[in-house]
Amino acid sequence: MKTPFSLVALAAAALSVASALALEPGEKAPSFTLESASGKQVSLEDYAGKTVVLEWVNFDCPFVKKHYSSGNMPSLQEKYTTEGVVWLTVQSGPEGKLPSASQLEEKAEAAGNKATAVLRDPAGVVGKSYGAETTPHLFVINDEGEIAYMGGIDDKPDLKKESLETATNYVAAALDSLAEEEEVAVKKAAPYGCGVKY
Amino acid sequence: MAGMKPVIFAMSSLASISWALAGVKSGHAEAELFAASEGYAAGQPVQAALKLTLDEGWHSYWVNPGDSGMPVSIEWELPDGWVAGPLLYPIPERFVTSGMVGFGYAKEIVMPVFLTPGEEAAGDVTVKAKVDWLTCDDAACIPGEATLELTLGEGLGEPSKQAEEIEEAFQKVPQPMSGASLDVVREGDQVTLAIVLPATLDGEGAELIPATPNALNPEEQIVLGPGEGAWKAVVPAHEYAAESWESLEVVLVGGKLKAPLLLHWGKEME
Repeated sequence: MKTPFSLVALAAAALSVASALALEPGEKAPSFTLESASGKQVSLEDYAGKTVVLEWVNFDCPFVKKHYSSGNMPSLQEKYTTEGVVWLTVQSGPEGKLPSASQLEEKAEAAGNKATAVLRDPAGVVGKSYGAETTPHLFVINDEGEIAYMGGIDDKPDLKKESLETATNYVAAALDSLAEEEEVAVKKAAPYGCGVKY
Repeated sequence: MAGMKPVIFAMSSLASISWALAGVKSGHAEAELFAASEGYAAGQPVQAALKLTLDEGWHSYWVNPGDSGMPVSIEWELPDGWVAGPLLYPIPERFVTSGMVGFGYAKEIVMPVFLTPGEEAAGDVTVKAKVDWLTCDDAACIPGEATLELTLGEGLGEPSKQAEEIEEAFQKVPQPMSGASLDVVREGDQVTLAIVLPATLDGEGAELIPATPNALNPEEQIVLGPGEGAWKAVVPAHEYAAESWESLEVVLVGGKLKAPLLLHWGKEME
């Protein structure tokens, strides 16, 4: 793309996940059907009328480990599923490069995962439809099926557990606002973590 | 110790020796801390550096790591009166892992830092640094950490064997230049950067790399072209850019530039 006198752009060498049609807050969450690590078919439509959280994961990623070994992610999962929120943990990426169904199930349990289900997206289609770029990367879907929040779990893109003490947790804030039927203050924030391996 | 002046010539062969522990391996990098001189002179900055030697295929990251990764963090334990400057980052490479643009380094990177003793500094001192970093390859990200020590003798002594390496690294750190300025105009998702350079410099073909994270879209390489009275680039804002900016930093490298430049724009300058 050349403009008369200013930018000379050289094409990037690799495919980009964020396309011109990237999902934005307020839009309908893309539907999907995926198999859980325990072998069940799970569809977004199964949870119509409920608030749903999608959490992209890779249990070997140090950023994911920060949130699990500290208990941060499991306690969010437990708290909000108790309140009726559906929490789906998703692993996108090819078989052979990522844990198999049974390995994923083991890793999730070892990490203390308390999600409603842990899903596998080996073709990466669902991850790409949401624009999941990092692990973790979270999406909160309101009970009308629209994206209420998308982005990082909080505002501290580092590996320090101490950061959790002062971090603003965007996901918890969005879920609390939805429960109070209030406007979600931060609908989009930069995700951080390891790249999703498509 | 107060009132004792260092007797440099008598001590230079013994006490004015800077030594550091051997490199510490953690994750996919080996970290070392060393200085350009054997010792220090009170009140004068010592050129030191953190070096990361990376395993084949792994990257460490720049101050703006791009869409994934994390810059190096360093926490100092310094003797009284000593001050450490910020870790200085040489111009990064641009690479893509898992479809995401990153800015950082492969193979090895030397990051200079100034350590300045107080006017009253005396005797051998040991400086400690706790360093944390992240390395990623196309398949994974692995953090690393190391606690490093550097001992400096009183009196400058001879240049160390790493002096040249540190000097080379300094030359790759972008520097501000008087007479160079950056203006930033944001209109929705489009950002126009206008750069004025001193007459001695030619900006044609120079690459512009955003140093402020999450500000400019890094997907395409940004190259300066001539504009009206200034060098220009028009770049999309980053997908996660804040609504408006207080400041922005970019670096310029390559093209006809002999040394990399650091340019800063601040709203207060308007």
